[in-house]
Amino acid sequence: MAGELQLFRLCRNVLGQVRNYHSTANLCAAAAAAAPAQKPKLMKKVEVYRWNPDQPEKKPYVQTYEIDLNDCNPMVLDALIKIKNEIDTTLTFRRSCREGICGSCAMNINGTNTLACISHMDRDVNKPLKIYPLPHMYVIKDLVPDMSNFYKQYTSIKPYLQRKNEPVAGKEQYVQSERDRSKLDGLYECILCACCSTSCPSYWWNGDKYLGPAVLMQGLNPGKAIAEIKKMLSGIAKKETPDIEPMSLHK
Amino acid sequence: MAVFLRATNRSLLRYVNPEKSLMLMARPVTMKVVEAPRKPIEDYDKFNTNLGRPLSPHLTIYKPQLTSFLSITHRGAGMALGGYLSIVGLGAIVLPSSIEQYIDALQGTGWFTHFILKMSIALPLCYHYINGIRHLSWDMGQLLTLKQVYSSGYVVLAASIISAFLLSL
Ligand code: HEM
Ligand code: SF4
Ligand code: FES
Repeated sequence: MAGELQLFRLCRNVLGQVRNYHSTANLCAAAAAAAPAQKPKLMKKVEVYRWNPDQPEKKPYVQTYEIDLNDCNPMVLDALIKIKNEIDTTLTFRRSCREGICGSCAMNINGTNTLACISHMDRDVNKPLKIYPLPHMYVIKDLVPDMSNFYKQYTSIKPYLQRKNEPVAGKEQYVQSERDRSKLDGLYECILCACCSTSCPSYWWNGDKYLGPAVLMQGLNPGKAIAEIKKMLSGIAKKETPDIEPMSLHK
Repeated sequence: MAVFLRATNRSLLRYVNPEKSLMLMARPVTMKVVEAPRKPIEDYDKFNTNLGRPLSPHLTIYKPQLTSFLSITHRGAGMALGGYLSIVGLGAIVLPSSIEQYIDALQGTGWFTHFILKMSIALPLCYHYINGIRHLSWDMGQLLTLKQVYSSGYVVLAASIISAFLLSL
């Protein structure tokens, strides 16, 4: 009996939550019924590249969906999710953070590579929204490209700080002035979405040899980073000595 | 650590009436992280083509932009200039008469033909020259924000068309 009592005590909160959930759901339904007529429909055509590996004999094609912009959140990713939830569950794409920080939803939208989750949809319904996978990539399914070559290239550059004499890990900290830290700003924020590399014709034609801007640069302005490296290589610019010797505590 | 927890839990269990504590009745499970064995991927292209994966469209769907237009035309203009230089150089070696005589032969043609011929040399030259300066400024780390890349692009385009036009009159 004591065991059962304890079990009940453990479950009590859960029961409460279930009850709570049901009553709020009812409230919501009531509110929706009472609400005045919805906004007029604003139907927008969405043209999406499709290819299904289970039907390899069928060539890639463009499928057109229609969604009501007045019944959809504003971003391109919202439209894709709406299509997947309500129209066609087979539509396949990557997404995760929905705030432009994970890089999963990189795709070609209306002709330029960008992140679907931070691209606003044009409310002009005369122009269709055109969505393709990242250009010149092998397609796994629909909008999902094979990124393994891109990631392998990233691994190949050993993208972490390296020292000639690596000290015992965790013994002392590296010291750094605030000003020295600020020199890193703009040079590391790349989220590896591959939008830049896969918009670059040199990467299209020679992706097996050329590492591409993202992997080479890691900053949010690859052109600027290239220029800074060129300046250092040619001796026009010199690497500054840090304000504080980073290894000074390791002596 | 895991072994310690398991041992202590088990010895504690001896003193506790299991009826009184659901929590202690649960057997502790410890998880160990085991890295999945990595499959060595054969040649990336071969792997994908064997799977029959298509290449996503590229040139045909990418939006034409000022930036890409100026980039490819800089190469085009450089190749045109290289072509002209080679023609003039080879011509000097191979052709029987000197260059003045060939130019004299053009005297008979009209103003418009002159303008087109001059333009076809002046435009790539002016454009490659002025855009070359834009390239060199990039190499010095200047004009590299998106806004500056566009505004300098429009300036280069206008300046090269105007200067080529004036040179061709
Ligand atoms: C008859 C004279 C010239 C010829 C035949 C010529 C030819 C070329 C060619 C074939 C390229 C390679 C284009 C490419 O990589 O796609 C090039 C690049 C370049 N040219 Fe010229 N060029 C000439 C004059 C000039 C002048 C006068 C300038 C300076 C204002 C200049 C600046 C540049 C620069 C900066 C690049 C490199 C662009 C880059 O970073 O990709 N060129 N040129
Ligand atoms: S540098 Fe390239 S890969 Fe990195 S975030 Fe920018 S577009 Fe994406
Ligand atoms: S979903 Fe993470 S960047 Fe778009």
